[in-house]
Amino acid sequence: MAVLTCRGLTKKFGSTVALDGVDITVEPGRIVGLLGPNGSGKTTLIKLTNGLLQPGAGEILIDGKKPGVETKRIVSYLPERSCLPDWMTAGELMGFYKDFYADFDRDAAAGMLSRLSIEEKQKIKHMSKGTREKVQLIMVMARRAGLYLLDEPIGGVDPAARDYILNTIISSYNPSASVIISTHLIADVEKVLDDVIFISCGKIMLAAPAEDIREQRGKSVDEVFREVFKC
Amino acid sequence: MLGKLLKHELRATAHTMLPIFGVMLLVSALANVCARLMNGPGNTPVVLTIIFTLVVILFGVGLFAIGLVTVFIMVRRFRDNLLRDEGYIMHTLPVSVHAQIWSKVLVSSLWYAASSVIMVLSVLLVSWDVDTIMEIGNVAGRIIRAMTREDHVAEMIAEVLALLALGSLVTSLSFDAALSIGHAFAKNKMALSVLAFVGLLILGEVFTYYMASLAGDIGSLETFASLTFIKGWRVTCVAGAGLMLVMGGACYGITAFFLKRKLNLE
Repeated sequence: MAVLTCRGLTKKFGSTVALDGVDITVEPGRIVGLLGPNGSGKTTLIKLTNGLLQPGAGEILIDGKKPGVETKRIVSYLPERSCLPDWMTAGELMGFYKDFYADFDRDAAAGMLSRLSIEEKQKIKHMSKGTREKVQLIMVMARRAGLYLLDEPIGGVDPAARDYILNTIISSYNPSASVIISTHLIADVEKVLDDVIFISCGKIMLAAPAEDIREQRGKSVDEVFREVFKC
Repeated sequence: MLGKLLKHELRATAHTMLPIFGVMLLVSALANVCARLMNGPGNTPVVLTIIFTLVVILFGVGLFAIGLVTVFIMVRRFRDNLLRDEGYIMHTLPVSVHAQIWSKVLVSSLWYAASSVIMVLSVLLVSWDVDTIMEIGNVAGRIIRAMTREDHVAEMIAEVLALLALGSLVTSLSFDAALSIGHAFAKNKMALSVLAFVGLLILGEVFTYYMASLAGDIGSLETFASLTFIKGWRVTCVAGAGLMLVMGGACYGITAFFLKRKLNLE
């Protein structure tokens, strides 16, 4: 069964169409790049999948179920912004995730924090912006989830941090799960992607395996992206 | 999952509320010491008099403000935790919107009750001396003895406390409903939340007036006037509780609808 299915998914904000009849199927065990320029509908699609927004029309299914309490048990979501409760310490944050997610691997999270020299007693509010983003990523990737939704995980970070983030994603995700990475920084993520979805103005422009795109067009995904979204 | 939400909600709010309560009790104790020193024999230096006066003023302001501060902190907590950035974490937890609302309402009500207790403790602390406390104890003893002699007084006090608890829940729900409405819009979220709160208050008043008129129309007022005191009291309590349940239910429904269907995180 597909881990994510969208059929005719439409979302409007007033008169603005954010998603327009989107059809997507994501199979288990795939790393999918949700690629598109700013304002193309990537975040809206991810929010709909998380149940943070309600669709205007169409259907969205996660593991065959509509977004709700059950699907939230298997979806691990990294928002595009830092949103950790800043009064907590890193240790308390792990306790919080462990309390709510049965699939949270506390030892894995503690190991990743330790490798970054982040003390469990350190408060979130005393961490730099970059460290907070890494801690948030660690909490998300320390879950043995069925679907990881990563919204702009490498947006606005330096190249060294990008490498850390991508390595963390690749080394810690559950291999039987699917990972959807939303970004417009194609060159950095291309090497890890199995499948590619191009989205523009709320419509799917292209959905195919990354390898097929490279073979058929003789170009990298990044080059194809630049062609498709040429200003 | 409600238990886990309550645990984390208590922890999150306690780290703000407990220091405030601690400071209030400390200021009360200081005010007591200052009052004793000022009333003591001999002349008090001017500087100390100014400091003592400031502490006493601080106590008065604190006593007046502690309830408002508690409301402000609970309102801000609901907004920040469910309607702003932290909402990305809270609304993707595998818990229902209903559990989220109940955890906020129950914990808010608990802190409202705690702030009332702190107010009473502060007054006791500021007036602390053995004679005063003995006198308070004597008065309390006389009240309790009088209550036990009269029929229904203990029950009436229990009913008042139950109505206060219910009122606290409904107040909390009305704040949450107003915030949920205001934050469904793209701009001016807090201003629209205040407008929504005023709107809800007006609707509540209209509903109460309508129900009272309805009771008058069907001749219930004459029946009410002919009741004994205790029966009249009971009818008033039931009517008050009924009105609060309807208003609380409406606010709960509004909050749940907006959090489920109209969530608009920044």
